[in-house]
Amino acid sequence: MSLEPRDEHDHAGWMETRELTAIEEVYLTALIWLDKRLRIVDYLEILENLYYKVNFQMPKSHTEQYNLDNKFWYWYPLYALGSFSTVAYVVAAISGALLGFYYAPGAGASNGEPALAYNTITFIMTDLNLGFFLRSLHRWSAQVMVAAVFLHMLRVYFTGAYKEPRELNWLIGIVLISLTMVFGYTGYLLPWDQLAFWAGQIGVEMSLSIPIIGEWVAQLLFGGFTLSQSTVQRMYVLHVFFLPFIVTGVIAVHIGIVWMQGIAEPH
Amino acid sequence: MSDTDTTTNADGAEVRTDGTGIVPPDDETPTWSERKARSQGLARLTYEYFERSRREDQDLRQQSSYVERDVLAFPTWPHEMIRNLALVSFFVGMIVFLSAALPPHIGPPADSSSTPAVILPDWYLYWSFGLLKLGPLNPDISLLGGQKLMADRTYGVLANVVIVGFVAIVPFLNKGAARRPVEQPFWAAVGMSGVVFAFTIAVLSVKNLVPMDSHVIFDLTFFLPLVAAFVTYAVLRSMREGYMFNLNRRYYRLRPPK
Repeated sequence: MSLEPRDEHDHAGWMETRELTAIEEVYLTALIWLDKRLRIVDYLEILENLYYKVNFQMPKSHTEQYNLDNKFWYWYPLYALGSFSTVAYVVAAISGALLGFYYAPGAGASNGEPALAYNTITFIMTDLNLGFFLRSLHRWSAQVMVAAVFLHMLRVYFTGAYKEPRELNWLIGIVLISLTMVFGYTGYLLPWDQLAFWAGQIGVEMSLSIPIIGEWVAQLLFGGFTLSQSTVQRMYVLHVFFLPFIVTGVIAVHIGIVWMQGIAEPH
Repeated sequence: MSDTDTTTNADGAEVRTDGTGIVPPDDETPTWSERKARSQGLARLTYEYFERSRREDQDLRQQSSYVERDVLAFPTWPHEMIRNLALVSFFVGMIVFLSAALPPHIGPPADSSSTPAVILPDWYLYWSFGLLKLGPLNPDISLLGGQKLMADRTYGVLANVVIVGFVAIVPFLNKGAARRPVEQPFWAAVGMSGVVFAFTIAVLSVKNLVPMDSHVIFDLTFFLPLVAAFVTYAVLRSMREGYMFNLNRRYYRLRPPK
């Protein structure tokens, strides 16, 4: 009996208990020597992971795992809505960046004469090669993103996916859907046609109706209590600078949490 | 002998022989770790040493305060993402097709002196726009001599805040393990009335375009969601028994309720 603490991981002792040939002994000694210094085992795990990813076998799908009806597949598009809105967002971002090469915010006197913003939109739609397609793509992907986000929220609600560990992500989702609508609204105002102008008018009046901070909000977002050049300019900066950074960040957090927590059951 | 050539497996579930369903690997298919354990010679020694080495790391980890928790869920990668990518690429094709076929319209340039007959935000804000028109519900208090406590406009903006706020606190009101609508008919009914209300309030926001008496529209705005809620509740309650039987049989066996 020894009072020495027994080394559970005595690799040398382990080697002695084995009947090894000379080659095996040299090999293991070298391996252990190198592994102690270089932690080969860690890198081996990376290689193993790569190996299993190359020799990939699809895991059982949910319906197989729980032996649910295999007719279940027609619900899957509803589970793809989150991805769909993300991809639509990416399409809108790319087409929007390209539109930004040609668009300039400028309201003019808003007296029925086409101003700078309106003229650049007309240029994009009529003169620029494939400009109509670019603007169309931007607008449609934005519309589709909003629609997908709404349906995504309904799917999450009706499958109870907002429950226990996922309350925080539901709240982040509420923030995201609101920001998406603000994104859409600021973009709606940019062509500065009649629709944009009067939608802006409603926006100013809504801000002014907020108790206590109403005037401050109107001043901040619309650059005054009536619509002017600074309204278009502020909407433009919100639409191409502030919102892209904020929304992209919040989407990253939202998806990161989904990735960490997994997709809620049932599926 | 008829007992031995049975068509049910150990769980008692029927094995389909018509080619539908995916056959999971049987017990005799060696797993990757079994394959490694079966190797010979130096490969075998390497395997044994690395297993020891890994166990050492594992023991060290368990001695520390590091705790691994498992979350009951369906993995995002690869199950969900692979399927989503297939579906999403189809939808992106749809966006491209739509934008080639239907380019957006440009209205006349902004003119502050001519108010158009129809002023509308984009369609996804109709519900919010409709909430601004709830003036008739704004209570006037008799103590103030019939004066309204706040302007109708302020009331409309606050209605938006209330709706969004209610949606936000849903996870804190509805708790428990129930997930499917049949398991929670009440909350499914609340959801359906919300969906219907989003549509009716949108119609209310464009009431001057709807060929109906505006008072009737206003009443229907609040009546139809209630109808939808009752219908949903009734249907789900009557579906529940049969549905829950199947669900309990094959689902809660694997995921016991809290």
